[in-house]
Amino acid sequence: MVDLDWLLHPVASGALSRLREALRLSPRTVRNLRTEFRRSALAKLGVGLIVCALLVAAFAPALAPHNPTNQNLNDNQLPPLGFDRQTTNTTSKMVNGSIEIVNETSWVNSTGEHPLGTDSLGRDMLSRTIYGARTSLIVGVIGTGIAALFGVTVGLLAGYYSGRIDDALMRSADVMLAFPSLVLAVALVGLIGTASVRVPDPFVRAGLTPNMPETFTLPGTVIIVVGLVNWVWFARVARSEALSVRSEEYIKAARAVGASDRHIVTRHVLPNSITPIIVLATIQVAAIILLESALAFLGFSGTTLSWGFDIAQGRQYLSSSWWIATIPGVAIVLTVVGINLVGDWLRDALDPGIEGEGGGP
Amino acid sequence: MTTVSLGRFLLKRAVQGVFVIWGVVTVVFLLRFITPGDPVTFIAPLDASQELRRRIAAELGLNRPIYVQYLDYLAGLLQGDMGYSYISNTEASARVFARLPATVELAVAATVVAVALSIPLGVVSATRRHEPVDYGATLFSLVGISTPNFWLGIMLVLLLAVQFGLFPTSQRGTGFLPAVAGTVGQFDPGLVVRLAVELRGEALLAYLGKLPLVTWLAHITLPAVTLGTYFTALITRLTRSGMLDELGKSYIRASRAKGLPESLVRYKHALRNTLAPVITVVGLQLGTLIGGAVITEAVFAWPGLGTELIRAINLRDWPLIQGSLIVIGAGFVVVNTLVDALQAYLDPRVVAD
Repeated sequence: MVDLDWLLHPVASGALSRLREALRLSPRTVRNLRTEFRRSALAKLGVGLIVCALLVAAFAPALAPHNPTNQNLNDNQLPPLGFDRQTTNTTSKMVNGSIEIVNETSWVNSTGEHPLGTDSLGRDMLSRTIYGARTSLIVGVIGTGIAALFGVTVGLLAGYYSGRIDDALMRSADVMLAFPSLVLAVALVGLIGTASVRVPDPFVRAGLTPNMPETFTLPGTVIIVVGLVNWVWFARVARSEALSVRSEEYIKAARAVGASDRHIVTRHVLPNSITPIIVLATIQVAAIILLESALAFLGFSGTTLSWGFDIAQGRQYLSSSWWIATIPGVAIVLTVVGINLVGDWLRDALDPGIEGEGGGP
Repeated sequence: MTTVSLGRFLLKRAVQGVFVIWGVVTVVFLLRFITPGDPVTFIAPLDASQELRRRIAAELGLNRPIYVQYLDYLAGLLQGDMGYSYISNTEASARVFARLPATVELAVAATVVAVALSIPLGVVSATRRHEPVDYGATLFSLVGISTPNFWLGIMLVLLLAVQFGLFPTSQRGTGFLPAVAGTVGQFDPGLVVRLAVELRGEALLAYLGKLPLVTWLAHITLPAVTLGTYFTALITRLTRSGMLDELGKSYIRASRAKGLPESLVRYKHALRNTLAPVITVVGLQLGTLIGGAVITEAVFAWPGLGTELIRAINLRDWPLIQGSLIVIGAGFVVVNTLVDALQAYLDPRVVAD
């Protein structure tokens, strides 16, 4: 087991207490988190996996051995280290005045240049997988942020005011829930089109990694759509939390001293509903990463540097080059396992008792 | 709990369901107006004149005010009319309902796989805590809920279809009912007995392999496992934690103390109380099953509603897009209402809430 006790180091603790204040977690909650983390090897594994994925995504240009978009058709479909690929060359020769078809079998060996092999256009799989982490994590985190912002707002208002607003909001949530998030996302991205945003890469700009792509492509439509199709889960959780705290004494007291609704919702209702929302958000990042990869697999993405996109292109070379479709999938599984383990850790430590695990294929 | 209040509960849920379906229809109808692109541009030739474009719009009724189009669409739907496909020369409803059985078959097969594997696995895992089988089940359910099902499908194809040739890589073959009918029609028990007695194993396998039902099974196995794995993992997890909760409660201790057989305590008492919350979550996750079916169909070229929807989206065939989305949404609402009914039957407290 990787030693991760450095996370409990004073510096990290300082960061943790600032985070605690930002999220308004009680000291008891933080203590539970820490005890549960020390106790559970799986929580450590999960945090380790996520930290790795974040580092890989952040330092992609520095870590990738090649430019992930550079094609080299001479080196296409190179196998990963330790594997061979059999190819059959069919040539025709003149033998005694007649043409004979000759099948020559040869082996393509892996080279140290491309430790995880290359794809059908000779692009380096390791570099593509490293850059794919960026797309997945950015879409996962921003998408969850959009879903949480929208869903929590709607849910808190519905729960706090209840009555007719609640009915209207929750009926519209029911309609949203009738569409599986993947189906709705496919329809929206397919019909709106895949707009994307190019962001300059700070590493290349600073001249540190001159050979890497100068810009990083964010799949704009996908980010917004995955957020919009998942807000309902946040709305449900926030609503039930708001419903349960709205009749508490301290809310009545705040109202009695003349606090505005806005003040009560943001200063009292939200902080007291935050733990289940945090747990849900964690699980949603995993669900949205899976959703993004599914969209990219179906060809509805705004970028080609995505694990799902590589799985789709590798699928066409399944019988000759198994690694093209296999490697990005392993990356997805490791990332999502990490997030789910952290989700379990948070749930065990915070025990909000929420039902449902969000969407996700 | 009286049957009257159960009936009223179900009636209320049914009425709610009808309203949600109406909402679904409205959202799907509005989709055409909130997404960019005029349907006419996709139908008309690139060099079509303004006059031709206007005529196409008029012919499809797209030049009328939105509310007229909406009421017209609603009126059509009530008669089972979803409009005429823009691209293929058929009624949209005919295409949608021709594709629906394949999707339902896939979803049912996946559910059967999931329920048959997960509940026993969850129960065994909970009753043999900290034994190898428990660790195995926990690992399986963790990886199962974390694996993208399209990738799992491709890996199954790679291993079992491409490498070992055990299953076909894609396509559906015939449906279940025609397969059953065909098998009943051509099955020859005499031949099977003769081949078995003569120990002609290869000939026997070749004969059995050609039976329509076996072909059907060969085609549906990989897609059903692909779609079912997430649910197997999810239900295993829920069953395990639910069983552990229940087994720790005092009524279980009391039942054991009064000498009830362990199997009765476990399977009649603990399992039954575990299943109600499991069903709630599974009901909430039905959307994931349908969404998963869409992508599983894409992996296996399964001729269902999902492949049809994706094709229709790419061609902007609006009547087909709307029809498929409405059938998916309404299907979800109907199944969800049935799940609620099942839950109310299993746990009468639901009705009281």
